Amino acid sequence: MIEVVISALVLASMYGLIAIGISLTWASIGMLNLAQGFIFTAGGYTAWLYAQYAEGWGLEGVGLSAGVLVFGMLGSALAGLFVGAIAFLPLQDRDNFRTRSLIATLAISLIGTQLWLILFGPQNKPLPPVFGEGRIEIGPAGMSYQQLGTIIVAVVMLALVILWMRSSRRGLQMRAMMMNPLGAAVVGVSVRSTGMRVLAISGALTGLSSVLLAQVFFVSPTSGVQPLTTGLIISLAGGLGSIPGTVAAAGLIGLAEALTARYLQQSLVPFVLFAIVVLILIFRPRGLGGLLEDVRE
Amino acid sequence: MAILEIEGLSAGYGPVRVLHDLSLTIEPGERLGLVGLNGHGKTTFLSAIVGLTGWQDGSVLFRGEQIGGRRTHGMGRKTPQIVRRGIALSPQGDAIFPGLSVKDNLDSGAYTGATWRSRRKRRERILEVFPPLAPLLGQSAGTLSGGERRMVSVGRALMSDASLYLVDEPSLGLAPKISLNLVAALLEIDLGDGAMIIAEQNLPLIEGRVDRVLGMHAGELKLDVGEALGDVPPASAVHL
Repeated sequence: MIEVVISALVLASMYGLIAIGISLTWASIGMLNLAQGFIFTAGGYTAWLYAQYAEGWGLEGVGLSAGVLVFGMLGSALAGLFVGAIAFLPLQDRDNFRTRSLIATLAISLIGTQLWLILFGPQNKPLPPVFGEGRIEIGPAGMSYQQLGTIIVAVVMLALVILWMRSSRRGLQMRAMMMNPLGAAVVGVSVRSTGMRVLAISGALTGLSSVLLAQVFFVSPTSGVQPLTTGLIISLAGGLGSIPGTVAAAGLIGLAEALTARYLQQSLVPFVLFAIVVLILIFRPRGLGGLLEDVRE
Repeated sequence: MAILEIEGLSAGYGPVRVLHDLSLTIEPGERLGLVGLNGHGKTTFLSAIVGLTGWQDGSVLFRGEQIGGRRTHGMGRKTPQIVRRGIALSPQGDAIFPGLSVKDNLDSGAYTGATWRSRRKRRERILEVFPPLAPLLGQSAGTLSGGERRMVSVGRALMSDASLYLVDEPSLGLAPKISLNLVAALLEIDLGDGAMIIAEQNLPLIEGRVDRVLGMHAGELKLDVGEALGDVPPASAVHL
């Protein structure tokens, strides 16, 4: 049972990071970013490229690990800005921005997958183990360094983002824009520059998740598809725009996935996740976040 | 130099033209009252100054610098740059941030430029103007009453380092006594070299407290305030 809980926490950490990126982007600029999978893969490949060079230089240990994390986040943040430059800035004040940007990000996602295929080929690329190899035993159960590291890194990163959003001027501007775009414009918050900032931050969170997930799976041209789907499920269940709601939904979905994989079978996971999100949306159309806070007026 | 010099301003939304060729000059230290019925363009006029209309045309000089001009789309796109030059708008319907605390809402008025560092001092000044907000600072703004929300909205506008304050219908939807106090507090603020335009449906609230009152009727400015408020000529008296 403890193993299921640990596995649930690891899944929640990895997918929660992507979901928070999707949720923040939707709440602040009204864009459902389907290119989040492309951004995810961009971080994975950047980290992989870095690891190739770093191993060539003979770098190992903490330097290599930290570099993989940092370059994964950097690559995805840049990919986020790239998506913004194409799907957000030129379309932002046109009619039906939501539909237009949805189509644009879908296009980026489809073209991006082919781009990775051309650039890196169809082979899976492994990343070096960031947290080292080994296990710690706690009483009857134990967890690997990779599992422990994933949970710690994700929680620390999330705490930093929440702290920044609650206390810094830029963070407050972002939250203001999420709650009332007109009020934000009136106090001098530019939707365009704040929106790009949100895309970079969402990208960095996604890149972190990409590196963490690549510890278990590999980086491949299509490795962003499944995390995008799970991220969308979590952000919908959490109530788009609500960080507490998204965290709660990540825990719930992680637990559901771990339980299903343990006691039923792995192939049933998507069915169970979609069933949960359908149930939540029937009874709570605004997702779990509607219970936890006032998201938007 | 005049604070605001408007020349031939027309504005609207889509196919609808709300403002027709307005011209107006506002001098430093001036308080202008703008009265008129609902739907005659008061809000659109204040919005046009900061570029929050669907489209607009005509010159708007703020302290000698052009902030208007011809624009066919891009509502609100230039608004952040315009307000950073020193214009503070308290929009109709508050537009406060419901999930932020009262303190963060007030501080948001000082997001621009160097005012951020002096936000504590500014906030204390606002609390002197609106003492009822003092015990509510930590509370989420979404839980406030209508009058308190309006104070937050007007207070937020006053937090900035503006030389032109635009206040849209401060009394709208408030109980008479509350709106009386709010408008009185608002009009007692020392503007220095700045200026204020206050749009109001309720003429007695501002009459005698502002330097000049103009009427707004069907998208045009009128010197005759009675016409803007739709005073019926004394025909009914004849009928009696």
